[in-house]
Amino acid sequence: MSKIPLLCDNTSAINLTKNPIQYSRTKHIEICHHFIRDHVNNGDCEIQFISTENQLADLVTKPLNKERFNFLPNELGIIDFKFVK
Amino acid sequence: MENCKEISTPMATNCYLDSDEKGTSVDQTKYRGLISSLLYLTTSRPYIMFSVCLCARFQSNLKELQFTVVKRILKYLQGTTNVGLWYPSEVYLNLVGYSDSDFAGCKIDRKSTSGTCHLLGLSLISWHCKKQACVALSTPEAKYIAAGSYCAQSLWIKQ
Repeated sequence: MSKIPLLCDNTSAINLTKNPIQYSRTKHIEICHHFIRDHVNNGDCEIQFISTENQLADLVTKPLNKERFNFLPNELGIIDFKFVK
Repeated sequence: MENCKEISTPMATNCYLDSDEKGTSVDQTKYRGLISSLLYLTTSRPYIMFSVCLCARFQSNLKELQFTVVKRILKYLQGTTNVGLWYPSEVYLNLVGYSDSDFAGCKIDRKSTSGTCHLLGLSLISWHCKKQACVALSTPEAKYIAAGSYCAQSLWIKQ
């Protein structure tokens, strides 16, 4: 339980959490959002890359097509109890 | 709505939901009642979380367009009354989190939506969908902000 893995599908965002340098493109991000950077440095969480196909948080952020919408709940442990005995 | 046709997804992928100034106004009380019931359902049905949260943003200036989208969610729920979360016993417990965001998902103010999921073993224990408070200028920025809100939630779970 010491390091909670966080799976994110964007490498640039992952690099932002590890890199303390301010670039011109990141300078307007407000300080409160750099909260995660401290916790990554302290070792509370660990950020890993995951491909977009396996990104399960897609379900709560965008409208999905039929195939993907049927695939994601299975992975998250959401099942139809009609098929459970 | 009891005998309505079932639909396989709660929201169309090309769904364009904006304030629709020219549309005809409909009864607000009914819509708000529907939204409150649907928000209650999101505690056991995470898959309608996004569509319900999107519709809940339009409660003050309501038009026909938003009402149609909510009716589609009801049609979807008609076919999925037996679907729910499954918490199996005897599995190893390790906490994994997923964080994601769209980019400029809200058509009116171009703000992004962040979403996170926490899985303990094989079961879903925490999920969250929220429109971000600031405008993100790039996809990494939107994802970075989503990761920040994920981090806050995991620290709470860890306590």
